[in-house]
Amino acid sequence: MSNDAATTATPPAVDGPPQEPAAHGIGASLPQADARAKTEGTFPYASDLWAEGLLWAAVLRSPHAHARIVSVDASAALEMPGVRAVVTQQDIPGDGAYGKRIADRPVFATDVVRHHGEAIAAVAADHPDTARLAAAAIAVEYEPLEPVTDPEQAFAAEPLHPDGNLIRHIPLQYGDPEAVGEVIVEGLYRIGRQDPAPIGAEAGLAVPRPDGGVELYVASTDPHGDRDLAAACLGLEQDRVKIVVTGVPGATGDREDPGFQLPLGLLALKTGCPVKLTATREESFLGHAHRHPTLLRYRHHADAEGRLVKVEAQLLLDAGAYADSSSESLAAAVAFACGPYVVPHAFVEGWAVRTNNPPSGHVRGEGAMQVCAAYEAQMDKLAAKLGLEPHEVRLRNALATGDILPTGQTVTCPAPVAELLRAVRDYPLPPLPRDTPEDGWLLPGGIEGAGEPGAVRRGVGYALGMVHMLGAEGTDEVSTATVKVQDGVATVICAAVETGQGFATLARQIVQETLGIEDVRVAPVDTDQPPAGPAAHGRHTWVSGGAVERAAKMVRTQLLQPLAHKFGMSTELLQIADGKITSYDGVLSTTVTEAMDGKELWATAQCRPHPTEPLDESGQGDAFVGLAFCAVRAVVDVDIEIGSVRVVEMAVAQDVGRVLNPAQLTARIEAGVTQGVGAALTENLRTARGLLRHPDFTGYALPTSLDAPDIHIVKLVEERDVVAPFGAKPASAVPVVTSPAAIASAVRAATGRPVNRLPIRPQAAVATPNA
Amino acid sequence: MTTHAPQAAHSVTLPVSLDEAVAALAAMPAAVPVAGGTDLMAAVNKGQLRPAGLVGLGRIGEIRGWHYQDGHALLGAGLTHARVGRPDFAALIPALAAAARAAGPPQIRNAGTLGGNIASAAPTGDTLPVLAALEAELVIAGPGGARREIPVSHLLAGREMLGPAELIGHVRVPLLHAPQVFLKATGRTGPGRATASVAVVLDPARRGVRCAVGAIATMPLRPLEAERWIASLIDWDGERALAPEALTAFGDYVAAACIPDPEPVPAAQEGGDTVAGAAVEQPVLSPAVLHLRRTVAALARRALGRALS
Repeated sequence: MSNDAATTATPPAVDGPPQEPAAHGIGASLPQADARAKTEGTFPYASDLWAEGLLWAAVLRSPHAHARIVSVDASAALEMPGVRAVVTQQDIPGDGAYGKRIADRPVFATDVVRHHGEAIAAVAADHPDTARLAAAAIAVEYEPLEPVTDPEQAFAAEPLHPDGNLIRHIPLQYGDPEAVGEVIVEGLYRIGRQDPAPIGAEAGLAVPRPDGGVELYVASTDPHGDRDLAAACLGLEQDRVKIVVTGVPGATGDREDPGFQLPLGLLALKTGCPVKLTATREESFLGHAHRHPTLLRYRHHADAEGRLVKVEAQLLLDAGAYADSSSESLAAAVAFACGPYVVPHAFVEGWAVRTNNPPSGHVRGEGAMQVCAAYEAQMDKLAAKLGLEPHEVRLRNALATGDILPTGQTVTCPAPVAELLRAVRDYPLPPLPRDTPEDGWLLPGGIEGAGEPGAVRRGVGYALGMVHMLGAEGTDEVSTATVKVQDGVATVICAAVETGQGFATLARQIVQETLGIEDVRVAPVDTDQPPAGPAAHGRHTWVSGGAVERAAKMVRTQLLQPLAHKFGMSTELLQIADGKITSYDGVLSTTVTEAMDGKELWATAQCRPHPTEPLDESGQGDAFVGLAFCAVRAVVDVDIEIGSVRVVEMAVAQDVGRVLNPAQLTARIEAGVTQGVGAALTENLRTARGLLRHPDFTGYALPTSLDAPDIHIVKLVEERDVVAPFGAKPASAVPVVTSPAAIASAVRAATGRPVNRLPIRPQAAVATPNA
Repeated sequence: MTTHAPQAAHSVTLPVSLDEAVAALAAMPAAVPVAGGTDLMAAVNKGQLRPAGLVGLGRIGEIRGWHYQDGHALLGAGLTHARVGRPDFAALIPALAAAARAAGPPQIRNAGTLGGNIASAAPTGDTLPVLAALEAELVIAGPGGARREIPVSHLLAGREMLGPAELIGHVRVPLLHAPQVFLKATGRTGPGRATASVAVVLDPARRGVRCAVGAIATMPLRPLEAERWIASLIDWDGERALAPEALTAFGDYVAAACIPDPEPVPAAQEGGDTVAGAAVEQPVLSPAVLHLRRTVAALARRALGRALS
C-alpha cells in the first residue's frame, strides 16, 4: 500500500461547534510544502538522481529458497566489456553481518542461501543492462536443500541459521491459570503476508568521498540507524559515511533495507565512481521485509453475561530467514493478544521462528494487526454463542483508563474505547441500494463484473483495535531538533524523515504556533544532523515534534528576554502574532523584525519520553510509552455465489489525543483504512515452497479507487494525552490494525461463515442462498 | 537516461500498410511486430525479451477500423480495447465490447489491441472467450499479398500457427443481431485478471447457443454438449425464456464439462492386476478447484439468464 492514498474525500464529521479554520499554526489544515511538486511529478526521488560518470549496479539474487552455495565464479562477468567491479561477501571490509537487534544477516550469502532473492553478489557497470547481464553471467553452483516453509515445522527442523530457529519466545502469564468461564469459544486463525508495496521501488546513489568515505543518497526512514550499519559493514568511521535522505516514495514499513544500501556503498568505494541502483518491482518484492504471516490459536472464556474471564492464546509468527524486527513484532502481538478489553486472566504464548520464507519485518501495525483479526473473530463467536449483539459483547468488556493490560502495565493514557464503539454503532447505516440503473449500485466484482443483485448479501461488522506508540521494551526514544530564526524566516533542522506521515508540515505548524512566524522551512535530512531515530510507530509526531517545540520555545525566550527586560515583565506576558510582539494588555508592542535587530537565533533541544522496560520471562513489564485505540464499523456486500466482496463503507472513530492538522489526519486515517482493506481482501504475497510466485502488481493486488470504500470519520476523540507533546497521539497505524478485523466481521455477518483467514478467500465467503 | 532498456531494439520499422509490414518482417525475420505493446514491452523491460528489431503496427490505418462484409464485421487487428468498448461498437457485438471494457485499467485499454490479445493468447485474455463463442475467423496476411483464414480457436489451440512473416490482419466476426453476454469474476472490485470468465451468445438464425469459458485453461473452452442441450430447450420462435432450474442445470453442465471430476483410479493393488469389483478410489477436487467450478456454474447461469431475459 502506498503511503498517502487519500482516496475518498469525506470531510470528517467531528463533534463540536464549527470553527473558523486557522491559516497556520496548530489545528490548521496546512498543505504539505512539497505537495505541488509531488503532484506535478517534478519532485526528485532517489531514482531521479544523477552524478557525472556514474555506474549502474545490479544485484545477483538467489533463485532458491534454501540451498548450499558450492561455488561462485564471477570471471565471465568481469570479462564483459563495461563491467567495472563485482563484489561478494569476501569484499566486505568490516562486519560481514547486520541486523536490527541481532546481527544475523550476511550482506551477501556465502555458504548457504536462506530465502528466495537473497543477495549473493553485486556488479557495477557503465550501463544498467550491462550490469544486469553481468549479474546473470556470474556462475553460481547451488546444491538445493529442502526449504522449511511451514513455521510449525521450524521447531523440529535442522537449524537454518547458526543462531537456531527460535528467534524469540514469550510465555505471558497473567492471573490464575485455573480460572474457567461458563462459555468457551475457540478458533484457529491464519493471517497472510502483506507487503508494504511502496509505490516507488528502492533506489539509491552512492558517491565516494575524497576522504575515503562514502555518501549514500537513499530514501531511508532511519538514516542514522542505516548509517551505523553501513559504517560497520564498510569498515569506516561513522563520520565517514553520510546518508542523505531523498524524497520517500511511500513507506508503511522500513525502506531502503541495508541489503540495497550496502552493495551500493561497497561498489562506490571499490570503483571510486558514483554508483546508482534502481530496483525493479520484482527485486523490491524480493528484497524488502513483509508483514509476519501468523498462525493463531485462541480460547476465550466468558461468564454468562459475556464478561471475559480468561484468554488463552498461542501465536506463531513466521519471521522468514532473519530476525530483523521480529522480536518487537512478537512483543506487540503477545501484549495486545487480548485486545482493548479487560481480561482478568491471560495466558498467551508467542513464538517467532525462522523459516525459508521471504523475510518479515516492520510494517505498520506489526503484531497488533494479526492478533486483532483473531481476537475480534473470537468476540464475534462469543456474541453468537451468548445471543448478544456483536457490539454489546465488546462494550461489556471495553478497556478504560486505569485498567491493567495482561502485561501488568496500567493504562495511564486516555482509553476511550467504549465511547469510540458507541460512536460507530450509532452512526446511521448506509441506505440499501435499489437495483435500478440510475442508482449506480457498484456490485461486488466491479463495473463490468458478474455481480447479480439477487445473490448479494449485506453484512455489518465491528472491530476494536489498539497499537502502541513509539518504540517499546526499553528502546531509547530520543530526538533532537534545531530551530533557527533569521531575517523573519524560521528553519527547522531535524533528522526526522518525512515519509508521508506529515512530519515536515507538522514541524512548520509547531514553529508557527510557538514563534508567530509564518515562513517556516524544514531543512533536508542527512546524518550530519543529530539523530532523530526511525520513522515508525508514529514516533516523529511525538518525539521529534516535542523536540521542535522545545527548541522553538528556547528561541522564543531568546527573542523576548531583552524585550521583557525592557518592558519590565516576564516573557510569558508577551505574545507573538502576525509578526508583532505585544504585551498581554496590548499597551506595549513592537515588530519581530525590530526585536530581532538583524540577529540570528539558534536553539537545539531534545525530547526523550519516559523510559520503558522489556517484557520479563512471563511477559510482564511496563513496555509501552503510550497506546492508541480505534473502532471501525464495516459494511460489506458479498456475492454469496461467487464469494466476491466489496466494502461499501467504513465508519471510523479514533482516539487521537488532539487534532494538529485536520486535513493531514483525515488523509492518514483514510490511507490506513485502505491499507486494511487490502490486507482483508486481496493483499497476500503468495509463495510456493518458499519461492515468491507473483512479485508484481498484477499478482499482488492492491486496492484500487474502486476497491476503496466510502470512509466516514465518525468521531475523533480529543482527550489529550498528558505525557505527549501537544497531547496528540500518532494516527496512522491503528486504522490498519482494526480495519481488516471489521471487514472479516462484516463478511461473517453477511455469509454466516466463520472467516478465519486473511485475506478472505472467495471460497470462504460463499454461502447457500437460504442460509 | 532511463534504467529501462532503450538499446533493446536496434531497428524500428513503422510501415503504413499491412503488406509493407509483412515485407518488413520478411526482410528481417528476427524482428518482432508490436502493436499496443502492453505485454511485449513489459517483457522487454523485465529483460525477458531482447528483440533484434521491432515492426510497429500503430500506423497501419487499414487495421484500426472495421467494415462490413456479407453479414460479418471485419475487425481490424489494431482496434484498441478502448475503441471496441465504445457504445457504437457495443451495439454491433455487445459481448466483445463488454470484454474490452473489462480488460484492465484505462491505460491498458487505450494501448492494448484486439490482435495483440489474440497473438499473446494469455489464458486471461478477456476477448478470447468471446471470439471463441462467436467462432471468429482470423484473416492472416502473408508475403506477396497472400491472405488466408483460420478459425481463432485453431490458433489458440496451436492447431495452426502463424508462419514466418505473417500477421493477424483482421478478425471476421458474424453479426448475429441477438443478445450476447460476457461475465468475468476477478479478485477485486477494480480492474484485475479474470479468475474465470464466460461468454454466451445466441444465434437465432441457426437456433444455437454458443458458450465459451475463459481463464480456467490455457485456451477458452467450449462446452458443446451443454450448448446443444440448452438450445434444444429454447422456444426460438416464442418467448425464449427458460425456467430457473434449466438455467441452473446449464450452469452446472458447463462447469462440469470444463472442470470435470478426475477419472476414478483403481485402488493400489498389492503387486497384482486390478481385480474386478475392487475398491475404486474417487479422487476429490481441491476446495479451490471446487470453488472455481461453482464460480463457472454461477457465471454461465447468470450469462444465459441475461441473454434470454
